[in-house]
Amino acid sequence: MASTVELASSFIEGAPPGELADVVADIKSLTSDGDHLISSLEPAFERYNETQLATVKLPGASQEVIVSNFNKLEGNRYFDVESQTSFEVDHVTQEASAAQSYVLESQNADLIKSLLKALSAHALEHYPSSSYGVYPIENDSAVAILLVANRYSPNNFWNGRFRSIYQVPVGDSATITGKIHVDVHYYEDGNVSLNTTKSVSISVPNGSGESIISRIATAERNYQEELNKGFGQMAEGSFKSLRRQLPITRQKVEWEKVGGYRLGQDISGGKGR
Amino acid sequence: MADAQYDSALDLLRRLNPRDTKKNLQAITSIVPDLTEDLLSSVDQPLEIRRCPKTRRDYLLCDYNRDGDSYRSPWSNEFDPPLEDGTVPSERVRKLELAANEAFDVYRELYYEGGVGSVYFWDLDDGFAGVILLKKGVSPGGKNSGEWDSIHVFEASDRGRTAGYKLTSTVILHLTNETDALGEMDLSGNMTRQIQVDLPVTSDVSHVANVGKLVEDMELKMRNLLQEVYFGKAKDVVGELRSLAPLSEANRDRATQQEMIRSLQR
Repeated sequence: MASTVELASSFIEGAPPGELADVVADIKSLTSDGDHLISSLEPAFERYNETQLATVKLPGASQEVIVSNFNKLEGNRYFDVESQTSFEVDHVTQEASAAQSYVLESQNADLIKSLLKALSAHALEHYPSSSYGVYPIENDSAVAILLVANRYSPNNFWNGRFRSIYQVPVGDSATITGKIHVDVHYYEDGNVSLNTTKSVSISVPNGSGESIISRIATAERNYQEELNKGFGQMAEGSFKSLRRQLPITRQKVEWEKVGGYRLGQDISGGKGR
Repeated sequence: MADAQYDSALDLLRRLNPRDTKKNLQAITSIVPDLTEDLLSSVDQPLEIRRCPKTRRDYLLCDYNRDGDSYRSPWSNEFDPPLEDGTVPSERVRKLELAANEAFDVYRELYYEGGVGSVYFWDLDDGFAGVILLKKGVSPGGKNSGEWDSIHVFEASDRGRTAGYKLTSTVILHLTNETDALGEMDLSGNMTRQIQVDLPVTSDVSHVANVGKLVEDMELKMRNLLQEVYFGKAKDVVGELRSLAPLSEANRDRATQQEMIRSLQR
């Protein structure tokens, strides 16, 4: 049987956008040994933060930067190219500390900077609240391009997260591969969850920062349009064929007839037809 | 402590992915075994189907037709695997149960055009209670699938010429859609609503009709609510995360509009 640590870890990693603290409070209340347990859940917090592209505020700054396995240094330290900072992350509290200046050492520094510039403009144009990052990966032979957009409205019982994660090999012509995830949680008088994954593969003839981001922007727009269509298809397709709004006769059930018929007679047991 | 744990368990299940309720429920009860009974009777899960060995008809399983490891078929009133002293309703309530099963069979055909339904009644000190279960799936496990489970639990208290009804309804709705252009899309969850009303009763026949109307009205309301939340609200939140129109354009449009309103007010 799975241990409490394993089970509680699965709760942490399954926390919906913006509700990690609530899930942690529930785990503490369910287990008598709350604080001790939480510290042994640190690996789960770390996996959650890196997979969900958690954002942390840099000490003394207002901007939020991404935590992922693409910008990870030693231990719990991560770096951000745009602010030229490295920082330590407390995975349980999602707080950053011990910020230091960080100079990017990459032969693709110019490409990364031009990607960041184009990505920043793209993010501002389509995401009301987002964080993003571009990092060298795979021994400086490729770059990772990340964007996460969160909107939390717990007072209205909804939270949402949009994540996109791309990798592009550096070169004249390349193929961008990646994934877009959208997660929405609505929990007033219930628990409704939207989870999507879309794989992306786009070839770019010229590997400049601007052309890469422009292809990504097109892919994200196309995806949002497909997703909007997806809602319509579900509503008109499966949903309608599960339960009709009204019977085909457009008449409600005549309960006195269907319910009273047999009760009014002698039921000697056994089922009807 | 136990109450706080129970509340936290329910809160956790309301937050974690509704697709995984069964797995998460098992995880919680393995951490806190004392909560098992209370959680199993209050957390709704997708219904399982079993075939009645006597009548060869399908029926649905839930905590209310379970006794130990056996389940009672609404068609035969017998437990499977057989139980010698399994709890069955009194003669009067069993008659009502049979009538309700027949009535809801008609209802199921009219609204679901298929699927499986079961109604279970049991005796209470001042009346009786029951659960109406309805289940339908379209291409389950497929790329474009849907599954609907309705669970309506009611209590009827006899008060002479009227009866008080308390109805708690849950609909569990799971939908998936997968194409190359769309990728994978999963929209799943459950919603719960409660009502309480007094209705006139002339004989036992009235009970079946009253409960039938209550459930019919409730399902209509819930279907509309699900439609609004699944295809309206969830889609709106996606729009809050990402704007299809460039935000600078949207801001400019808003400014122009405000300017127009101001000029009209002048």
